[in-house]
Amino acid sequence: MSEHDKVRELLALAVAGALTAAEEKQVAEHVRSCVSCSNELDAWRPIATELRRLPTPQPSPWLFQATLARTEAKLADEAEHIWNRRLIIFVVTLAWLLTIASAWVFYFVSPYFGSLLGPQFGRTWIVFAAFTAMGWLAGVVAAVTLAVRQRDERRLA
Amino acid sequence: MAVDADVARLRRGDLNALSELIARYQNRLYRYLLRMVRQPAEAEDLFQQIWLKVVEKVRSFDVTRNFDAWLFTLARNLAIDHLRRVRPQSLDEPLADDGDCATVADRIPSRDYTPLDTALALERRTHIDEAMAALPMIYRETLTLRFEDGMKIEEIAQVIGAPVSTVKSRLRRSLEQLRSALAGQYGEARP
Repeated sequence: MSEHDKVRELLALAVAGALTAAEEKQVAEHVRSCVSCSNELDAWRPIATELRRLPTPQPSPWLFQATLARTEAKLADEAEHIWNRRLIIFVVTLAWLLTIASAWVFYFVSPYFGSLLGPQFGRTWIVFAAFTAMGWLAGVVAAVTLAVRQRDERRLA
Repeated sequence: MAVDADVARLRRGDLNALSELIARYQNRLYRYLLRMVRQPAEAEDLFQQIWLKVVEKVRSFDVTRNFDAWLFTLARNLAIDHLRRVRPQSLDEPLADDGDCATVADRIPSRDYTPLDTALALERRTHIDEAMAALPMIYRETLTLRFEDGMKIEEIAQVIGAPVSTVKSRLRRSLEQLRSALAGQYGEARP
């Protein structure tokens, strides 16, 4: 490829300001001595100028506010999601703690089990059952909350 | 305030920073999207989706990177996904027909601007706008990023995820095709 052909290919990029310093120098030197390339460069210039002067299209005036409102709603939704997740973690942890603590309760009331037919048996059994039920109830609340949340998310999606 | 500071504030969940970033990039981003999808309503919907993505992903944004390039890459990916879904043929469009050539004298603009020149310039701009809209998507994108947005070649390469040489090649081809489409006004490229 001759010098002329090489420079010819660079002319469009020259008006786009996309040449390296070495290429710019090469084009400038060649154009000084080549009328054809000089004319060709002049032909490219108004296109580049008009491209740079194209008016910027304006979006609808409400776009800014609509975008802000939509993103804020998303952030609020995310914050609620995080809060719900923390609540579920808390409730599940509580349920587990209560269940684990039931062993301690069992240990605490175990002396009463020695006399199954004694008058304390009924009370011991009720305390133990109520404590275990509390643990399971917390677990059920957590599961229901999670299920409702997931159903809402699926509906939104 | 600098973009980096706004981005840092947004990463901490500051909504004022979001507002400032949207205002700052509104015109540039909308113009880019409009050049990509060509439908104002679609461009506006994509514009909103992009900011939802920004909010979602800004915490994973590498602060050492250029935010402009990151933002426009998000915009590009969303626009291409949209076009693929809505008008897949628009990603590979036919080119405009060539017209007649003008003389060299016709191609060199006069320095004495008259109202007629202004009117002609406006008409030329309209023609360029139309000719640009008829170019394939990848060429419209390169032209708008370089000429309208004033991005450096390296930045464009980051946005489109291609080497600098590819950007230059696309830029040259897009200009050549634009000139062919405007042949009656600016003359065709000659060997």
